[in-house]
Amino acid sequence: MTANNLRVLYYYYTLSPEWQQQIVKNLGAELIDNKLLVIPEDIASGGSVFLEVTPGLSVHLLDMTFHVPVAITRVPKAHNYYMIYYDIGDEITTHILGDTAHKAGYHSKLGMGFMDCNVKGIILPPVGERSYSLRLLVDKNYYKSLAATNRTAEVTDMLFDEAKNTLFFYSHIDSRSKVMLNKLKEEHHFSGTSFELKLKHIALYLLNYVVERTARFEPIINKLSQSDIDNVLKTSKYMLDNLLVEFPGLPAMAEMAGMSGTKYKILFKKILKDSPSNFFSNEKLLLSQKLLQSGDFKNVNEVAYELGYSNPGYFTKLYKKLFDVSPVEVLVKR
Amino acid sequence: MREVIHRYGVELDWVTDMAAELGGYVEGKYIIVPGEKRPGNRFVLPINDNITAFVVDVTYNEDVVYRLRNTRDDFVGIYFNLTEGDAVHILDDVSRLIGRWGYNLSIFDADLRGDYLVKAGSTKFMVAIFIKKTALKDYFSKNANYEQIIDSVFDPVQNTIVKFDRMSSQAWWLMDELRKTTAAGPLYEVMVTGTVYGLLSDYLDQTINQEIILEKVVQPDVVNIIGSQAYLITHIREGFIGIPTLAADAMMSETKYKRLFKKITGATPNAFFLNCKLAYAKEELETGQYTIGEISDLFGFTDASHLIEQFRNAYGTTPKEYLTLL
Repeated sequence: MTANNLRVLYYYYTLSPEWQQQIVKNLGAELIDNKLLVIPEDIASGGSVFLEVTPGLSVHLLDMTFHVPVAITRVPKAHNYYMIYYDIGDEITTHILGDTAHKAGYHSKLGMGFMDCNVKGIILPPVGERSYSLRLLVDKNYYKSLAATNRTAEVTDMLFDEAKNTLFFYSHIDSRSKVMLNKLKEEHHFSGTSFELKLKHIALYLLNYVVERTARFEPIINKLSQSDIDNVLKTSKYMLDNLLVEFPGLPAMAEMAGMSGTKYKILFKKILKDSPSNFFSNEKLLLSQKLLQSGDFKNVNEVAYELGYSNPGYFTKLYKKLFDVSPVEVLVKR
Repeated sequence: MREVIHRYGVELDWVTDMAAELGGYVEGKYIIVPGEKRPGNRFVLPINDNITAFVVDVTYNEDVVYRLRNTRDDFVGIYFNLTEGDAVHILDDVSRLIGRWGYNLSIFDADLRGDYLVKAGSTKFMVAIFIKKTALKDYFSKNANYEQIIDSVFDPVQNTIVKFDRMSSQAWWLMDELRKTTAAGPLYEVMVTGTVYGLLSDYLDQTINQEIILEKVVQPDVVNIIGSQAYLITHIREGFIGIPTLAADAMMSETKYKRLFKKITGATPNAFFLNCKLAYAKEELETGQYTIGEISDLFGFTDASHLIEQFRNAYGTTPKEYLTLL
């Protein structure tokens, strides 16, 4: 099934800089000062920077334009860290976890992921488009000590008991993080002392924001297998790819995931932080916002019909509830 | 009046002594000062081997005189200071009030002593960053502007690192984010560390293109320059008195006075005076009580067109446009 010229890279992270040797060895990258990776020009332009920020926190920022297709697989490891992933790409990135292809970037919406290093990840970066992403690697004990600030000891212990629970979610990048990351992306260079200090600052603020944010999540204690994750993400991807129709319904989604309705609902909520129908409805409304601003439509009704709402008044009501503003105020008329 | 004689440093040996001088004690990374005279938060955090941060968020219900007497000279203090109220006054060696501390960012070589008074009714929010000179030198050495002169900049015989400045909007934002964070627990340490790195990055960006003036400076020099500024501000409605008089009042040669004024404040005495005039003129303009001609007379501009020209140079708009945009 692999395309003829598809390059394949397997790697895993470490909290210390030594993981970069894999990229040097397997892609022929140049490693400068043990923190800057420069990829050979025939594979990609650009590179990445890796910094140890504080004991327990490292950051990897990647800014590359690939010239050939590469399948990059992060191999699951029984190491002691979480990975928090932010995709600030210009275009569609096909992002695969296990067997589930899931697009992140402009069209699709879920630019942020939180996962245990023992979960596998595959990325197929777009060819000829700028890929810009940042990863935080956080020592598990350190993350737990930070998260404990916002939870009772009992809940914290349950959440971080790996025999009973897997920490994993996919979501949009929250707006505070997005503002910082977009500003960072405007600086087209990696080098210099002030850039390194800035990257450390951003890594620490992102960590603070994600801890604050996850504290507001309802704790759902569940051990996830790789196939659970793949199966749930298969359904969320299906929904993200089919936002112009009506909600396919819980039974159909549970069947696609190969789970009972009850299990599916719980796992979906654990990973996507919302019920399947709310998730679908919110994604539809987020897409509607883009359509309203696109200048391709004459009026709100057209947008509502495009998105498969048979009743434009109902669409307006939902939109107002989510964004606190009426769609007609956002509409850029054709 | 309480008098606090203290020192700072990257190493933490100053913390216990300062706590005692403040009338408090150390608890973990916090300095606790009991009572209602100066309630608030005082937090000391080593960031790494080369950097320590001191965060102060305190309300003053009594006057306090601080006397900074460092015993180490291996670091530089970078003070981001948002103080509201009657604020901070610089004192000379016989504790006379010299002038208000009009800057929210100051950089001081550990070599320099400092005496200042914080008035009752002030609220002080400060992030002080103490950084080893070797580390700061390393940061600057990577910049082309500093390549040739880096050794002179950090040679205590040739140069003292001292600067009064205004923080950027990015630094304001960082200070504000930190101030909104509850000062407790490990997450607060994440925010303080993140803020310190952000402030340092911003400071480097801001400093790297500024003119470098090498000059040895001692505390009386700083006091005299601040005194000189205070004089110019109290005589803001008059004409510029001239460098010879100002230099004589500051007990320096004209050459030294001009160099030091520029080094410490980033502007020439003339430019400083004109900028202040325009800032005050703008304030009066905003009251709506005066015509542009009257304001021009009030602040000793040659005529209205002179004021309009200078105003446009400084603010990119004429006074009239400015008023309509208010």
